[in-house]
Amino acid sequence: MTSTLKGITLKGSAELVAEFFSFGINSILYQRGIYPPESFTRVTQYDMSLQLTTDGKLKDYLTKVVAQLKEWLFDCTVQKLVLVITCLETNEVLERWQFDIEYGCGRRTKSIKTIQDEIRSVIRQITATVTFLPLLETACAFDLLVYTDKDLMVPEKWEESGPQIIDQSEEVRLRSFTTSIHKVNSMVAYKRTDSA
Amino acid sequence: MDMEDNTTVFSTLKSFNSFISHPEPPKRHSEQPAGSANLQINYKRSMELLDAAERVQSKSQYIQLDQEKKQMELSHKRARFELEKVATDSARDLEREVDRNQDLLGRIKRLEEKVGDAAKNLSEQSGNNKVLRKNFDDLNKKVLERDVRLNTANQMISSLHDEIRELKQTVQNQDCTISTKNLEIQSLQEQLDLQRRRYQEMSQLCQSLQSAQSSCSEHVNKIKELERRLSLQEQDIALVRTMRSEVARVQDLDKEVRRLREDNAYLRESRENSSLLKEEVEGLRRKLERMEKTNEDLVNSELEKEVLIEKLQAWENLGQSTGLNIRKPEDLSREVIQIQQREIALKEQNYTLSSSVDRSQSQLQGEASQQRSKALEEQKKRETQDALVRRLQKRVLLLTKERDGMRSILESYDSELSHTDYSPQLSKRLREAEDILQKTQSHHLEMEVQENERRWVFNTFIFFIGVELELESVRKQQSSVAESNSGMVIEEVLLLRQKIEDVEGERQRLEEQNNILEMRLERHSLQGDYDPVKTRVLHLKMNPTNVAKQQRQQETEALREEVTRLREHLRSLKDAGPLALQDDPHTGSPGLGLSLPPSQEVLDLRKQMESSEMKNKRLKEVFQRKIQEFRTMCYVLTGYQLDVTTENQYRLSSVYAEQMDDSLLFKKGSSGIMQLMETEFSKTLGEMVALHLHHQKSIPAFLSAVTLDLFSRQTIF
Repeated sequence: MTSTLKGITLKGSAELVAEFFSFGINSILYQRGIYPPESFTRVTQYDMSLQLTTDGKLKDYLTKVVAQLKEWLFDCTVQKLVLVITCLETNEVLERWQFDIEYGCGRRTKSIKTIQDEIRSVIRQITATVTFLPLLETACAFDLLVYTDKDLMVPEKWEESGPQIIDQSEEVRLRSFTTSIHKVNSMVAYKRTDSA
Repeated sequence: MDMEDNTTVFSTLKSFNSFISHPEPPKRHSEQPAGSANLQINYKRSMELLDAAERVQSKSQYIQLDQEKKQMELSHKRARFELEKVATDSARDLEREVDRNQDLLGRIKRLEEKVGDAAKNLSEQSGNNKVLRKNFDDLNKKVLERDVRLNTANQMISSLHDEIRELKQTVQNQDCTISTKNLEIQSLQEQLDLQRRRYQEMSQLCQSLQSAQSSCSEHVNKIKELERRLSLQEQDIALVRTMRSEVARVQDLDKEVRRLREDNAYLRESRENSSLLKEEVEGLRRKLERMEKTNEDLVNSELEKEVLIEKLQAWENLGQSTGLNIRKPEDLSREVIQIQQREIALKEQNYTLSSSVDRSQSQLQGEASQQRSKALEEQKKRETQDALVRRLQKRVLLLTKERDGMRSILESYDSELSHTDYSPQLSKRLREAEDILQKTQSHHLEMEVQENERRWVFNTFIFFIGVELELESVRKQQSSVAESNSGMVIEEVLLLRQKIEDVEGERQRLEEQNNILEMRLERHSLQGDYDPVKTRVLHLKMNPTNVAKQQRQQETEALREEVTRLREHLRSLKDAGPLALQDDPHTGSPGLGLSLPPSQEVLDLRKQMESSEMKNKRLKEVFQRKIQEFRTMCYVLTGYQLDVTTENQYRLSSVYAEQMDDSLLFKKGSSGIMQLMETEFSKTLGEMVALHLHHQKSIPAFLSAVTLDLFSRQTIF
């Protein structure tokens, strides 16, 4: 749909951003070892090979969230998407991957190729952050939080939750990409290890 | 060969073609003279050509046939070669086959010989077989007889075996029972050991628990202290965080400070420059003013110059205009002197005149006063004259009306009569009346002029007085306003400058605060903070974290249940252990009604425990009896009752002791030597002690002496 047009429509931009989130979340889960690496399979996307989960429950969960997110992106009501990693033993938040979404006017026409190049550099940077993030030694679980407008109707099966902010955190800002309708800024916050 | 044939074909073809082409050119030359002869010649030539072509064709065919023949010969030769080869091969094969045949024939012969031998053997062996069969039958009979005997023997054996088996079973049963009982003993001993170990472990655990409790209490105290320290440290951490954030800002502040200093330096320079510029401006303004003044002066001077030039010209022309023969200023000065002299003279005259004028003025003032009075009189007269004038005007009006009437009458008369008769008289009368009118009008006008002049003089006098008063008032106002304006302006300027400085300071402070707040906002937004009024955080209810937590809870609950169950099982086992000693296995598991039933092993172990305890009891009884027997025997035979009071101390009391308390105390020293201790009874036996113990160093002798002594005392009578 978007390949035939010169520019990008709102729906096409929402699809691109939702697709990026789907692959980005899978990459983060693989890199941080939340799920065992043997439960992931290799796929090609954005001219690079990425890991995608084969776990049925996880797939269902991700498809649900990404579908709802696509709707909200189309309505321009979502402000942030946050992936929170909590330690199961101590119930405290260890890492927080935050993606801010800003809305533009869409006057600048951008080709799909440039957008995909930008997405590729963001995902490469996510993979590279593993080098300085502290090891997750205990068993961990993840959760996806969505920051939306207050007056939005809460859909079925969704509930309100806290922001799950890390106690003493170090924040690192990563690259951003824009489709000229949606701009996504990425950042990661992790709990400071008091070993030093 | 073929190639040579081909070349011959080609060469023949070429020769044919050349032959054909050759006759053509000469034909062209000789075409015109002989037509029919040419035709014949051509026909002949064509026939010849045809023949040649036929010959060539035949030659080629011949050559082709030759070639074919050669090829056929070649093929024949090849075929012959091949056939010869095949023939040789088949000859060889034949030879081989012949050889094989001979071999096979040889083999057949051998085999036939073997067959004959085998037949002979067969016949021999058949004879043997018959013999053997006879033997076999005999043997079978024997075997049968022996079988019968064997059966009987076997029956005996089986019966014996049964007996043996029975005995063995009994033996095995007894062995089993023995082994089981040995095992039971071992297991019970092991259990005893286990129990002892458990008791030791439990005692150790108790001790460790106590120590742990004490350490726990210490730890609790430490924890409280640490918590206090933690709270203090958290406060310090908060301070450190703010300090760090402030320190992080230091760099920015340094940069800003540098920038501000540069700005300050720049501003100071600019201020100095501005002050300098202002001074320059003021200087320039003054210059401007001066220049303007000079311009005005210039203009004025130019005007004056022109005036002077005119004057000069006038002066120069004076001579021409006045006719006084003036060409040089000397003449002018002379004239001037003359004029001055004249002037002096005139001034003298003037003074005299002025004095006369003063006198005249005074006279005139008097006269003026007189004239004022006169003016008043004249005003009165004027008024009267005005009245007269009005009357005269009225009269004039009346006269004019009369005139008009007269005129009208006259005109009526004239209209009736002719013009020339009475018009001169009428005109004369008209003129006279008009003259009278004019005179009265002129007189009236003169009166009016005089009155206007007096009024004008009076008004101008009043006007000048008023103007002088206004001028004085305006001058006073201007001086006051100027003073007040200057003071006001300076004060306003100072106030405005102070306000500007205050506002600039506030602006800088607000900028700093703004930057700090922006940094904090960005930090918070990075950490994930949000405005609860505008945004809301949502997540799915069935998310992986919740699922993992629920699983964990379920696992922990299952583990806790298992732990409680195992603890109850343990307690029940411990309760069952001591109860089993009382030989009551049925009440061994009161608390385990729902859990495992008492297994066979447990019952066996309990039985073993009971049996071992019974044995222990019996052994103890036996030992006690034996010991008692031994002691009584020693008492009876040696005459001393030996008691162990404390470790290494032995009390001997004799059969023949006079009192119950009489006893001897012996102590075993560290080196193993028995020593007598001091008692009341031993004090009485001092001699025997000295003799037997110190001198003879024999305790049995001493003891026997003591018994003899006591016996002798007892049985004197």
